[in-house]
Amino acid sequence: MKNKTLIYCLIFLFILGFCSCKEDGEYHSIKDKIENEGKPYHGKLTSDQLLMDSELIEITAGEHTFWIPERKGQIKSFACTECHNRPVAQMKGLEGQKAHWDVKLNHANSEMMDCTTCHNGEDMNNLRSLTNQNIDLNLSYKLCAQCHFSQFEDWKGGAHGKKVAGWAPPRASMTCVNCHNPHSPGFEKRWPVQFNTQKAIERKEGLDH
Amino acid sequence: MGRFKVLKSLVIDSLDTITKGSKKYHIWMGFLTLVMLIGMYCYSIQLDEGLSVTGMSDRVSWGLYISNFTFLVGVAAAAVMLVMPTYVLKDIDFKQAVLIGEGLAVAALIMCLAFVVADMGGPSVLWHMIPGIGVFNFPNSMLTWDVIVLNGYLFINISIPFYILFRHYQGKEAQKKVYVPGAVLSVFWAVGIHLVTAFLYQGLQARPFWNNALLGPRFLASAFAAGPALIILVLAVIRSFTAFRIEDKTIKKIAMIVTVAAQINLIMLASELFKEFYAPTHHSESAYYLFFGLHGKNALLPWIWTAIPLNILATVILTFGKFRNNLKVLYFCCFILFAAIWIEKGFGLIVPGFIPGPYGKIVEYLPTKIEIGVTIGIWALGAFVFTILAKTAIGIELGELRYKNKNSSDS
Amino acid sequence: MSDNKKWYSLDLGQNKQKEATASCGCGKTEGSCNSQKTELSADEFYEAAINASIGEERHRDGFEQVFDVKMDRRTAFRKLTASLLIGAGAVSTSCSAVIDNKTKEKAQIDWEEQFKGNYKLMTDEEKQGTINRLMRSYELRTGKNISMTAENAEEDVLFGYAFNISKCQGYMNCVSACVEENNQDRNSQMQYIRIHEMKDGQGFKFDNADDNYYHEVPAEGHFYMGTQCFHCDNPPCVEVCPVQATWKEEDGLVVIDYDWCVGCRYCMAACPYDGRRFNWSKPEVPENEINKNQHYLGNRMRKKGVMEKCTFCVQRSRKGKNPACVEACPTGARIFGNLLDPNSTIRWVLANKKVFRLKEDLGTEPKFWYFMD
Repeated sequence: MKNKTLIYCLIFLFILGFCSCKEDGEYHSIKDKIENEGKPYHGKLTSDQLLMDSELIEITAGEHTFWIPERKGQIKSFACTECHNRPVAQMKGLEGQKAHWDVKLNHANSEMMDCTTCHNGEDMNNLRSLTNQNIDLNLSYKLCAQCHFSQFEDWKGGAHGKKVAGWAPPRASMTCVNCHNPHSPGFEKRWPVQFNTQKAIERKEGLDH
Repeated sequence: MGRFKVLKSLVIDSLDTITKGSKKYHIWMGFLTLVMLIGMYCYSIQLDEGLSVTGMSDRVSWGLYISNFTFLVGVAAAAVMLVMPTYVLKDIDFKQAVLIGEGLAVAALIMCLAFVVADMGGPSVLWHMIPGIGVFNFPNSMLTWDVIVLNGYLFINISIPFYILFRHYQGKEAQKKVYVPGAVLSVFWAVGIHLVTAFLYQGLQARPFWNNALLGPRFLASAFAAGPALIILVLAVIRSFTAFRIEDKTIKKIAMIVTVAAQINLIMLASELFKEFYAPTHHSESAYYLFFGLHGKNALLPWIWTAIPLNILATVILTFGKFRNNLKVLYFCCFILFAAIWIEKGFGLIVPGFIPGPYGKIVEYLPTKIEIGVTIGIWALGAFVFTILAKTAIGIELGELRYKNKNSSDS
Repeated sequence: MSDNKKWYSLDLGQNKQKEATASCGCGKTEGSCNSQKTELSADEFYEAAINASIGEERHRDGFEQVFDVKMDRRTAFRKLTASLLIGAGAVSTSCSAVIDNKTKEKAQIDWEEQFKGNYKLMTDEEKQGTINRLMRSYELRTGKNISMTAENAEEDVLFGYAFNISKCQGYMNCVSACVEENNQDRNSQMQYIRIHEMKDGQGFKFDNADDNYYHEVPAEGHFYMGTQCFHCDNPPCVEVCPVQATWKEEDGLVVIDYDWCVGCRYCMAACPYDGRRFNWSKPEVPENEINKNQHYLGNRMRKKGVMEKCTFCVQRSRKGKNPACVEACPTGARIFGNLLDPNSTIRWVLANKKVFRLKEDLGTEPKFWYFMD
C-alpha cells in the first residue's frame, strides 16, 4: 500500500511538472509565438468606422491589395482640361492668366526632370510614364515607383508611409502625394515642436534644490 | 491567567523604568523626541507635496531612504554574530551582550520598515501588500520575500529576548529547549534577510552595477563588520552609563569578529575593483562614476573617497592585536568603520546603480533637507526604541525589575 | 458584484441609490434630468448649475479637480462628520438629515475607491463599477463629463511596434501628441517618448546622444532614434512589482493599475529601457487641455506617488486606432499593428526588413523593433 501511494504521488508530481513546463515555456521567444499563433485577423476590431469619411480606392500592387485615398477629388482645379483645353505647346505665349506661378520644381535637378517628365502636355488630365503611357492621377504612385522602386517596395509592404486611420484591417495606406509634395518631395528642416525645460534643469543644474 | 498578570505587571514595571532615570537619560530621551518630531514634520511635508520634496528623480529613483534601509538590514543581521556563539557554540562569554544585540536588531528592523514606508509614494494603500487582504506577488517579487523575511526576523528577535526576559523577570531560569531552536533558526534567518535584500538589487538585469554575483556575499561581509562595530560602541556606552557588567573579554571577542569581517570585506572590494577597472566595459561606467566621476559629474567623489580610506585605515589598525586590544583605539576604529560602511553600502551602492541611466543620461542625486530630516528622525526613532528596550532588559538582568519583589512590596 | 473577491471591500448600503443614479442619463442626483423644463437654455442652465455647485472649482485643473477639491469650513466639517459617521458604521440612511445627498455620494465613492480591489482581478461588472464611480466622481467635483472605458484585450491581437531610424527627423511631434493624448503632468513636463539625437558614424552611443535638443532638425550628421516603453514579452518590471499593480495584458500591453500601485518604484529600477515614469508630485493638466476620452488603464487622471508609462495608447489601440505618436508622426517612421496577423504591415516589416531590438541580450523580448530603409 505504502509503495502504491508513493508511486501515485510521483506520477502526480510528474504530471504536474510536465503541465507547468508546457504552460510556462511554450515559446522560447516572441518570434516563435508570433509565428505559431498567428492567423489572419478577422476579429471585432476594424477600421471601417474610422475610414467612413474618407474617399478610398482599392488597388493591387504586387501581392498586396489595399486601399489608398482617392486623389482627383482633392485637387482643387481638377479636371485640368477645363483650362488646358488645348495642348500646352499651343497655349504657350497666349494671353491670359498666368497659372501655376506658385509651383517651383524642386525635385531632382533640371537636367533630369521638368514638368513634362510627369505631366502629359497633350493630355493634362493624366500623368505620363517614362514610356509615354498615361497614368491616372488617382494612381500617381505608379509614376513615383518608376524611379523610387525601393521606396515603392517598402510602401507596398507597409514599411514606408502612413496608414489613413487605425491599425485594424482593412488596410488603408496614404499614397506618396499625401505626405510628399510631388513638386518638392523632400521634408523641410524645422524646429522641433517642443523643448523640455524641466529636463534641462534636472540635468544641468540638477543639484540646485 | 497567571501569566497575563505577570505580563501586566511587567508592562507597568517597564513603563515605570523607562520614564525614570538620571538627568542625562531624560535629556537624551528629550533630545530624541525632539528629533523625531522634526522628522515627523518633514514627513508631513513630504506626504503633502509628494516625493518631489526629496532629491530623487526619474533618473535616480531610490535615494537616502533605501540606502539607509539597505544598511540597516545589515545591522539587524549582525545580531546573529552574537547569537551564534552564545546559543549554538555554548560560549557563555556573550550572554549579556546577546540581549543588547537582539535589542539592536529589533530597533534596526523597525528603522528598516520605517524607511521603506517613508520611501513609498502611496503609504495610504500599503494594505495592498498585506497577504490575504491585498495581492502579494509571491514568489516572483523579491520585495515580497524581503517583507516576509524582515517581519519574520523581527518576530524572532522580539520573541526570544522577550521569553528570556520574561522568565528572568519572574526569577526563573530560561529553558534552553525553548529558545535554542529559535536562536538556531534566527542564525539562518539573519543570513537570509541579508541575502534576500542583496537579491533585491542583484536580480535586476537593468542595473549592471548591482547585477553581479558578489553583491550578496559582500553585503554579508560588510554587515558583519558594521553591525558588531555598532554593538561594541553601544556596549561601551552601556558600560559607562549603567551598572550592567560587560567584560572586556566580550568586547574583544566581538572585535575579533569585526576584524575578520572587515578583512573579508576588503578582499571582496579589491576583487570588485579589479573586475571594474582592469578590463572596463560599458557596464563599468557606474563604478567610474562612483570613483572618478563621469562626464564632469562627480557628486559622489567626496563620499566614496572618505569611505574607502576610513575603511582601509580601520581594517589595518584592527588587524594588529596590539591596537585592537586597546579599547580607546578599538572604539575609534569601530566608529570610523561604521561610518565608512554606512557610506559605502548606502550612498555608494544605491545611487551609482542608477547612474548613468539606461540611456547613459546622468542626473546627479543629493538628498534635500527634508529628506535628511526624515532620515535623522527615523534614526532617532531607532535610538529611542533601542533605549527603551535596553533599559528594560538591563533592569531585568540586573534584578531591579522582579515580579516577586513587587508583589511582596504590594502586600 | 461577485462574492468571491480577492480583496477586502465594504458596502455602505448606497449601491441601490447609485444604480438609480446611473440609470439617469445626465447623471444628476437631484431634480429632473430634463433641463428643458426650465426657462433657461440648456447652456445657461449648465453654466448656472456649475457655478452653483462648484463655483471657482472648475477653473482649477487636472487631478486637483478630481481628488482635491477645496472646501469651505462648513463643507469640510460636513464631510468630516460624514466620514466619521460612515467610518463608525452608522447606517447611511440615518444621516440623511445631517448631510446632503451629493456629499454623501462623494464620500461613498471615495470610500469605495480607497478600498476597491486590483483591476487585474476584477470581473467585468466590477471594472464597469469602478469606471462609473470615477466618471461620477469627476462630474461631482467639476461638473464636467468624461468618458472612460474599460475595454478588455481583444482575442487574436498582439500589439507590436516598429521604428524606422532612417525616417525619423527628430521633429518631436510624437512627443507632444503623446503628452496631449495621455494627460501627462505639465508641471514636471513628463514625457513617455524620448528622441535621441545620435551622431553618424558612432553607432548607437546613447551616452553621447542628446535627447533634449532644441535646434533645427534634422541636424547635419545626425540621426534620430525614439525610445519609450517597449512592452516586453518578458517584462522585468512586472516580475518585481510586489502587489501586481502592473501586468501584461493578453494583447501584449504592459499596463498599470494606478489605484493599486503603492509607489515603491521597484519597477522603475528594474526597467532597462527607461520606460517608466513616476509622479513625484500631484500631476496637473489645465482643464481645457484634458483629453476626456479615457481608459482605466490608459490616460485617465493619475494621482501623486504612482507609476505611469506608455500603454501604446490603450484607449485608442483597443478601438482599432493607432497610438497618438504613430498618428502624429509626420515622416511615417512609426509603424504599429497586430503581430499575430500575417497580413499586417508590422509583420511585413519584421519579415522583410533588417530589424533589431535594444538590449536583446537581456532576454526581455521587447515588442518594439527598429529598422532602416
